[in-house]
Amino acid sequence: MLIDDNRDDNFFHKRVILKSAAAQSIVIKESGEEAITHLKTSQHNQPNNHPDLIFLDINMPRMNGWEFIEEYKKLDKDFQKKMIIIMLTTSDNPDDKALASKEEVLAEIRTKPLTKEMLDEVISRYCSLPGEE
Amino acid sequence: MKHSELTFQAIVEATPNAIILVNKEGKIAYANHQTEKLFGFSKIELISQTVEILIPSRYHKHHPHLRNHFFTEPETRAMGSGRELFAMRKDKSEFPVEVGLNPLTTIDGTMVLISIIDITARKKAEERFKLVVESAPNAMILANKDGEITLINAQTEKLFGYHRNELIGNQLEILIPKQFGENHPHLRESYFHSPSVRSMGAGRELFALRKDGTQFPVEIGLNPIETDQETVVLASIIDITERKKHEVLIALESKNKELEQFNYIASHDLQEPLRTVSNYIQILEEDFSDKLDPEAKNHLQTISRATVRMSMLVRTLLEFSRLGKNNKLVSVDCNEVVKNVVSDLNSLIKTSGTVLIIEHLPVIQAYETEFMQLFLNLINNAIKFRKKDTQPEIKIGCSLNSKGHHEFYVSDNGKGIEEHHFDRIFQIFQRLNTDQEAEGYGIGLANCKKIVEMHGGKIWVESAPGIGSTFRFTVETI
Repeated sequence: MLIDDNRDDNFFHKRVILKSAAAQSIVIKESGEEAITHLKTSQHNQPNNHPDLIFLDINMPRMNGWEFIEEYKKLDKDFQKKMIIIMLTTSDNPDDKALASKEEVLAEIRTKPLTKEMLDEVISRYCSLPGEE
Repeated sequence: MKHSELTFQAIVEATPNAIILVNKEGKIAYANHQTEKLFGFSKIELISQTVEILIPSRYHKHHPHLRNHFFTEPETRAMGSGRELFAMRKDKSEFPVEVGLNPLTTIDGTMVLISIIDITARKKAEERFKLVVESAPNAMILANKDGEITLINAQTEKLFGYHRNELIGNQLEILIPKQFGENHPHLRESYFHSPSVRSMGAGRELFALRKDGTQFPVEIGLNPIETDQETVVLASIIDITERKKHEVLIALESKNKELEQFNYIASHDLQEPLRTVSNYIQILEEDFSDKLDPEAKNHLQTISRATVRMSMLVRTLLEFSRLGKNNKLVSVDCNEVVKNVVSDLNSLIKTSGTVLIIEHLPVIQAYETEFMQLFLNLINNAIKFRKKDTQPEIKIGCSLNSKGHHEFYVSDNGKGIEEHHFDRIFQIFQRLNTDQEAEGYGIGLANCKKIVEMHGGKIWVESAPGIGSTFRFTVETI
């Protein structure tokens, strides 16, 4: 799942994921609210249908990445465990990095853009059997 | 005795002041009981004596003349007009007095009725007041309605650089800068119209003028004081230069914070479109490669390079603004710092064949990360701007300067810098080299300058083209 208000980034990131053939399906949400609503619905209706990887932008209007995290933490804990969140940032602001390292539900923080190499690395680190889940 | 004389006598005896009646020749015709008490003479001892018997001998020479003058134009007035008057007792002791003169026409001709008040107590109070003013920690100035300075204290002398003789009797406006002074007499008048204890200026910024012509910001408190004769004003003046400096510092700090915030937002928001441009160039190159001819691909690469460069510039700007943020002074062993820097630059040092000569360096209080960056930049520059065909040699050392501060140097045998560039190299985004010669964004030395200034020091360069450069910086943290 890609959560980013920037359509150009979404298009580019989707393309990188498609090119690496790393995902069966890609869900794109252009705001934190939409994304959290989507996750709540899945949790309720089809708890097995969830994204494995979430790429989360920080700077978004209304609900930013950090606020999304707060909402995300209210989801069912077991449901949370099924997902990996990678935060994507534009600037390599050390403040954001420090904040991210304290946030347990965040796997890591990376600088945009998402590249094939980054994706491969993330998948090999967090998804033991990619494509089979 | 006539009825009127009796009445006169009764009145004169009843007044609390010493009163004597003196004729044209200066002879005392009458003295009341208060006079006896005040001067220690009995009436009999006084009557028929010249009035000079009551005046200290040093005034005897001039007094008859003044006395005669009074009788040519007799009028009711105070004696002495501003001078301090003294009277003398029978025992020759003196005391300060105030004397009122009233001409009296009698059958014996014009006489003068003199009323004498002992002002010893008042003088003492005045002395006490002067003492209080003198010992006040603020500059204090007493001035009358006409703006004439009548009293100042030592603090005033110190603050304004005048001796008190130069100020007393002068107009207050001498202490006010011209651009503010013109309206002052008018303001002063309106103050005396309704005097009250208040601060001067009502929110305006006030400035005072020293003897040497320099101006300084002040705060002034005004206190009206009622004296027997008139209302005067006591002005208490505080030099607020330091406070102003502090205010400026606080304003500067908040401006800096704003700037930092701006820097962050600008670099963050500027990076985004840049990234989009480079992302989409990548898409064009990867997905539309077969549809683009070599010239178009070439242009795309140019766009790509420009984007990367812009992105780097924005990033360095951000780093520059972040220098020293949230950091603390710690004890830093400069030998360790340089050792770490050298190990970071290991591959560059090896490939360039650089020789490093490092003296023993001190342990100082510094911002560690920044201090490391400082050495990294200087050593990196020294290698980067080496001469072709000459083995680079870098010397690093430190000594105490005349002020007792640590003065470091990083000296090389590189290309050197022309003197007219000495200042420019420390400005942000200033480069002396074209891209082909040395890569860089013109941030290194600007960072160095900022880091050195964070440590209360200065950085400068001594250099000659073709010989080499020595960068020196001081550290004033203790």
